[in-house]
Amino acid sequence: MNVSSTHSIVISNTESIPGRNIVEFYGVVTGNTVRAKHVGRDIMAGLKNIVGGELRGYTELLQDSRKEATERMIEQAASMGANAVVNVRFATSSISQGAAELFAYGTAVRVS
Amino acid sequence: MENLSLFFNFGLPLIILMVAYFIGSTIEKKHFANIREREDALHGFPVVSFDTMPDDWNVSSSDMVTGSIVISLDYFKRVIAGLRGLIGGRIKTYEPLLERARREALLRMTESARTQGYDAIFNVRLETSRLANASRDGKGTAGVEMLAFGTAVKLKGRFG
Amino acid sequence: MKFIAKKPREGINVSDEHPLVEAGTLVVGLTAIFIVIALLLVFIVEIALYFVPAETEAELFWDWIPEDLVTVSPNDERLYRTQLLVDRLVDHWADAPYDFRVEIDDSSVANAMALPGGLIIVTQGLLDQVESENELAFVLGHELGHFRNRDHLRALGRGVVMGLFFAVITGNDVAGLGIKATDITVRGFGRKQESKADEFGLAIVHSEYGHVNQASRLFERWNETNQSTSAFVAYLSTHPQPGDRVADLRAIAERDGWQIDGEISQLNWDRN
Repeated sequence: MNVSSTHSIVISNTESIPGRNIVEFYGVVTGNTVRAKHVGRDIMAGLKNIVGGELRGYTELLQDSRKEATERMIEQAASMGANAVVNVRFATSSISQGAAELFAYGTAVRVS
Repeated sequence: MENLSLFFNFGLPLIILMVAYFIGSTIEKKHFANIREREDALHGFPVVSFDTMPDDWNVSSSDMVTGSIVISLDYFKRVIAGLRGLIGGRIKTYEPLLERARREALLRMTESARTQGYDAIFNVRLETSRLANASRDGKGTAGVEMLAFGTAVKLKGRFG
Repeated sequence: MKFIAKKPREGINVSDEHPLVEAGTLVVGLTAIFIVIALLLVFIVEIALYFVPAETEAELFWDWIPEDLVTVSPNDERLYRTQLLVDRLVDHWADAPYDFRVEIDDSSVANAMALPGGLIIVTQGLLDQVESENELAFVLGHELGHFRNRDHLRALGRGVVMGLFFAVITGNDVAGLGIKATDITVRGFGRKQESKADEFGLAIVHSEYGHVNQASRLFERWNETNQSTSAFVAYLSTHPQPGDRVADLRAIAERDGWQIDGEISQLNWDRN
């Protein structure tokens, strides 16, 4: 979903947006994706386990997941009329074999 | 005789799959309706993930509160996820499940805070963890625990 | 800062696509992919077979017997007689690639198998059932037909290649593969291969006896005793229906002008 690129929502993992004041706060917003890797990546990872080094396939996979989760979180904030999300945190967990959930959450606020 | 083995190899799993799908999606709809109801009831109860408090709020007491739920993945979803595991991509069937779990955990935390007389929750954290065995062939139980915890505060006087 | 109660819009974290749509596309897509890969693997096996000549096969498998086979003693009269019959039939086969050995499986289920290295396995059950030498000769000739078409190797190759493919996909233990591969038996033969083997068996029986009486007796008996199954199940089974096989054999005999009547040779299990 590319909707967030049209919003001008600022996010940060600090208590407040640096240099600005929180005027109103609304509540927790979350963004969520569950992705599965495919066999190709699995096989490459298996081979990499022997030689070591970066698993580039997985890096890309998780980067895309994180981007998507963040965009969903921002979309939730935008639907509340917020213009910033503070105290953003990420969480990754494995839901079942081969599927990882990526999770972003923060608080939707309006900053000055 | 061959008809019987055909039934057991193809027919029965298909039937179980469809039963799992229909019952699963009914439970899901009901749960979502229930969640929306309770969220509406709690409308107006501040739940935030930062810990800075507004200047005009006076805290009289505080305590940590938690809410959690363990939700299970039904057979149909696991089969779909298994198929996805071959070609990759977003597992769309899991999304409603995780959404429900998370909102339910938050609700339980908030409801528990309200029942104990608190007025707001700060510094909320959300954690997911996989529980039990979800083996590849679909046997065994599969569960996901969603945990929400934060610091609930009691305020002197109502906030504006 | 002020608190204002608001809640986000529904449905941001869930996609509005119906789960059955996702299920449907996945199943259809994956089936298509698997069919393509299966065809590719079959093609690879065919090419590999071209490079494994019969001489190599004879060298590799000349004294191999499957591990779980329960055989009868080497002195068994029926084993001796059956081996003699095979040798007589092979005499009519000019390009026989190697020597054929017979082993008898101590099982009461009527069955016959063609295994790598020229190994023909017949079961006690089969020998109990056959009523004449002609009938047994056809069964043996049918197995010889499989050897001529190298069907036994094809099944082995396909089994190994498919097993490897699935092991890689699903991450199972590859060591178990070697064990599984050596146990691959005729179950993998396709229906077309069975028909071709039938044709060869009939030809070789004709060469030996001058007629094809009783050749299809086994199938006729099976056809009489078997309950008819639905067309779908028949399609899925690895052998053609017995009734069809009888009809096909009659058609071949007619086409090639072979007599269906002729003196039946009796089974003689005595050593003298």
